[in-house]
Amino acid sequence: MSPTRIFSTLAFLFILFTIQESAISLIHFPIAGFSLYLAVAISLIAFEDHNGSLVVGFLAGIVLDLSPTSNAPFGQWALILTIVGYLFATNRESFADFTMSPVIFVFFVATGVTLALLMYLGFGSLVGEANGSINRDLVILLGNALWTIIFTPMYLPALRTVRKISLTSKER
Amino acid sequence: MAQGSGNRSRLLLVILLVTALFFVTLDLRGVSLTKGSRSVTQTMLSPVQKTVSTIFSPLGRFLSDVKNFGKTKAELDQALAENKKLSSQLVLASETKGESAQLNGVLDLAGRGGYKVVAARVIGHGSASSFSQTITINQGSRSGIKNDMTVISQNGLVGLVKNVTSTSAIVLLMSDPSFKVGVKITRSQSIGILQGQGNGSYSLVLLDPAGTIKVGDNLVTNGSDNNHPFIPGVPVGQVTVLDNSTAALAQSATVESYANLNDLGVVSVVLAAPTVAPSVPLRPTPNPTVTVLVTPTPTPSTSTTPTVSPSPTTSIKKK
Repeated sequence: MSPTRIFSTLAFLFILFTIQESAISLIHFPIAGFSLYLAVAISLIAFEDHNGSLVVGFLAGIVLDLSPTSNAPFGQWALILTIVGYLFATNRESFADFTMSPVIFVFFVATGVTLALLMYLGFGSLVGEANGSINRDLVILLGNALWTIIFTPMYLPALRTVRKISLTSKER
Repeated sequence: MAQGSGNRSRLLLVILLVTALFFVTLDLRGVSLTKGSRSVTQTMLSPVQKTVSTIFSPLGRFLSDVKNFGKTKAELDQALAENKKLSSQLVLASETKGESAQLNGVLDLAGRGGYKVVAARVIGHGSASSFSQTITINQGSRSGIKNDMTVISQNGLVGLVKNVTSTSAIVLLMSDPSFKVGVKITRSQSIGILQGQGNGSYSLVLLDPAGTIKVGDNLVTNGSDNNHPFIPGVPVGQVTVLDNSTAALAQSATVESYANLNDLGVVSVVLAAPTVAPSVPLRPTPNPTVTVLVTPTPTPSTSTTPTVSPSPTTSIKKK
């Protein structure tokens, strides 16, 4: 990834983070909540090549770690999304070109979001965070997966367009 | 060539993981760098949150209403039925009126308690990407808000100030699993610890093994040293279910909070606790006692039987 793309991706992620924290979080979704930021970040990771997935995962995690409402230690999301980026990078070939099949892509993103939240819970337990009851955590995981499946097809065309614009001629 | 690319990828992965772990270690060791970065983010976000909250809060409230429609209607029906029943009781028994007045006194929280409060509007809710339950309010250190101050709503305890910038503050809600507060049962004065469960219910564990809990018991905050983080006497909730586990060492129960944390629009941050008797939580305001003093007026009479003039002087004195 070129420095220009790293910078533009970071700026895009920060705008998305602002939208998530100031607008999306105001909406009381039935069945837990929806993290647009996490869904879009996972989608971006899925679009990238091997190294790009790692870098985008790390950057998305660092921005998410800046969340003032978070109780988690700074760097936890960076660690988790880097691992998710690595898992996407190494396993993407098993699904052929899933970016061309919207249905598989949506389920791939929903799985990524659920996996990231599960890892967040697991890592949180290791460092002594209180995660509440298992039932509630399951509802949050299922709710996030459900909303990701519903909303991903809506933002996907726009995300593809934004990504195309941000690519340099060499990267295209 | 491909091997070189693979090595570079592995090196990149190791560098990124080590960097992330380095940040985590710094944070867990209490280095203030990370806290500072989150405060800067909050300072940058709060003007946007205020604007967005002003514009989009009707939409958020609408969705919240849709979500709670069935529940709200059922609650309203129940409240109306209770209201009718109470009204008829009030008409029938004058004693009930007195009790009702006492209840009103208990509910008049901030005024009677003499709390110095700052009202604040809720401009954000905790992110869905973390499991913590927080709200962001539009008042900060400029209004005198500091960390670890008690936050209340019209119905009782809401949470505690977790982080403050000059114009906004983040409040950790009492429903967060990491939230714990010392409470007192108003009936028996038994002390316990109340903990959030992440949903609308809370777990109460009594510290006193000889204490008793009953369904319907009211809980108030017990208070902390120097009133930080918790001031005493704030209504917290009501016991709904007793956990009758014989194996448990301490008595426990499930509690429902008075405050509806899903529908918070305006909250108050308690800047200063009451100056009078801060350790006495929630006592009904003494009702004025009417004392009738009858002064006999000597009336010249030809009769041999003394008479008392029907002109008593009435004075009201407080107990």
